[in-house]
Amino acid sequence: MLESSERSPSIDGGPTKTVLISDPSLRDGNHAVKHSLTAEQIAEYCRASDAAGVPIIEVGHGNGIGASSLQLGLSACPDEVALRVARENLKRSRLGIHIIPGFATIERDLSRAIDLGVDVVRVASHCTEADLTERHIGYARQKGRSVFGVLMMSHMASVEVLVEEARKMESYGAEGFVFMDSSGHYLPGDVARRVTALRAGLSIPVGFHAHNNLGMAIANSIAAADAGATMLDGTVRGFGAGAGNAQLEVLVAVLHRLGYATGIDLYKLLDAADMAEKKIIEAVPTISSVSIVSGLSGVFSGFLKPVMRVAAEYRVDPRDVFFELGRRKVVAGQEDLIIEVASELAKTRSAA
Amino acid sequence: MTPSLVREDCRRIIDGRSDALSALRGETVLIIGGTGFAGTWLAETLACLNDDFGFGCKIVLSARGTERFASVRPHLASRRDVRLIRADVRHLSELPRETNWLVHAAATPDNRFHASSPVETMSTIVEGTANILRALDPLSDFRRMLYLSSGYVYGSQPWNLAAVPETFAGAPELGSPAAAYSEAKRCAETLCAAARSEKRAPITVARPFAFIGPYQPLDTPWAANNFLLDALSGRSIRIQGDGETVRSYMYGGDLAYWLLRLLTTEEPGRAWNVGSPHPVTLRAFAELVAGHVNPVPEIRLHAAAHGNAPRTRFVPDASSAQQKLGLDLRVPLPEAVERTLRWNRTETPVSGAPR
Repeated sequence: MLESSERSPSIDGGPTKTVLISDPSLRDGNHAVKHSLTAEQIAEYCRASDAAGVPIIEVGHGNGIGASSLQLGLSACPDEVALRVARENLKRSRLGIHIIPGFATIERDLSRAIDLGVDVVRVASHCTEADLTERHIGYARQKGRSVFGVLMMSHMASVEVLVEEARKMESYGAEGFVFMDSSGHYLPGDVARRVTALRAGLSIPVGFHAHNNLGMAIANSIAAADAGATMLDGTVRGFGAGAGNAQLEVLVAVLHRLGYATGIDLYKLLDAADMAEKKIIEAVPTISSVSIVSGLSGVFSGFLKPVMRVAAEYRVDPRDVFFELGRRKVVAGQEDLIIEVASELAKTRSAA
Repeated sequence: MTPSLVREDCRRIIDGRSDALSALRGETVLIIGGTGFAGTWLAETLACLNDDFGFGCKIVLSARGTERFASVRPHLASRRDVRLIRADVRHLSELPRETNWLVHAAATPDNRFHASSPVETMSTIVEGTANILRALDPLSDFRRMLYLSSGYVYGSQPWNLAAVPETFAGAPELGSPAAAYSEAKRCAETLCAAARSEKRAPITVARPFAFIGPYQPLDTPWAANNFLLDALSGRSIRIQGDGETVRSYMYGGDLAYWLLRLLTTEEPGRAWNVGSPHPVTLRAFAELVAGHVNPVPEIRLHAAAHGNAPRTRFVPDASSAQQKLGLDLRVPLPEAVERTLRWNRTETPVSGAPR
């Protein structure tokens, strides 16, 4: 059973500051390929990142385990197969999952994932709905897994509300807290302010998950670390939803240059990233014009592909769709609103 | 049938000290919140006083969840000297007329609930206490009330203050939802003081700290519970932080005796810390737990690099109760741990635990 802190880099500190890296390439990256990752790809990437000593590898549907559906996209590789294959190919790295209560149930999904050998459970909710995570966090804690609370779309909550919601997760038993910049909206100062407030309000470690819509993913992650965050997410080549995440190999290189320890072998990580680009990543994420609009409007990057598709279908400007979705403060899971917005825009246009 | 382990504890804790509680002989004791950890231990202790020391008390347990209590604790619920009343303190308007002594222990200490439902938390504590105080008026043969406040009323204990005395003037963070429970407890203490002044109601306040023992549900994510659950489940024991955080733990049986002694104290009207005065680091506590499990589980420190897991201290200065009332701890911590583990192995199923 892999459950050891000594096999991953210790986060116990020492003379150098240490950052615990989580790599959700095989989870957030699934958004970028419409959840088409195969068992072979999962196996190969796990072997490569395990060899590099990446501490936590997160696997699953883009919206977490149990989220494969017609509405959110069907996974080519079912959770059970993905987790089993990952488990078989991870020797040093810990196996993590992202789980959103509502998409995933304890009985059907979480309990099975734990039986399959998941080490790290990251229970996520929209930034103002931490209450939904209590049972999932409690269950995973009782099963002895490492449990982190995750708040998504964190820019939609004020700093004060973010801290209050994070405190709820801590009270439910979360051993660490990660806030996500799901739409790549933050600038470094935004991140530093939040990390500082969270560190003051929590007694558990704080982490940050970046998206790159405004080209700030690395800068934001470093701002988080400098403000005291001790957990950072990154994906190879930025393989994630929309404009992608903080590019892991760049993040690790910069962290090392700044004197942070990650326990990761940079050369082997670069090899893993090269392999992934060849065999897994259909198109390396770039900051498209629409991604910039997504970041500015504060709409979840995962909406990029469906927005592009629906906008083309209704012959409306996807940028207008994004700003309207931003005005309506949509959150992940409300993808059906894209059609409503596009159709209203189309009607308005034809009326004009 | 009474669980033998708990009855053994009660006998040992009462042994030689039953006289100090003789004011309760033949009286009716109402315990509001009577099905929780403190309430159940109070009921066990009173039942033991009746069975072994001929006290002849009538024990009335009032709570929201009496049906569940009746099914999981039939040895108490089915006793002839025990009566269950299903009631919610937020809507309470009258108390059993025959009540002579009252312990108000109604409030969940579950910090998950406090975080999710701070309004409900405060309303139960503040409105519930006000309702109980109003309902004291018609009781013709009423003697005393003991209100269970909390050690959290002092706010964060300064690291350099070894133990918090009752006179400590600290307070929780003002205006923070995280202070809902502790501020509500402060408010309820003030309500009790107001009732003492306005109605001459004889009320004593207890400020409980941290406890372990049978009847403590292990699913609340407190450090001690996590260690016990890890150990019972055959896993390594994980400590968040560097293990140097300081707590102290009193056994449930000692808690019950202390509370009954405070209830019957001849000088009502003040507040008393209730808890173990013996500090223990979380690391030492984890080692204690590990020492009672075979094979001995590994202890893992997750000293979250962090500097972000600040060391905290939560230890009462219990010298008032010790010196003025002669109270002490009959069950030392190592034994409390051993008995808690034993009870959980035999009395209640723990998910994934070896049986």
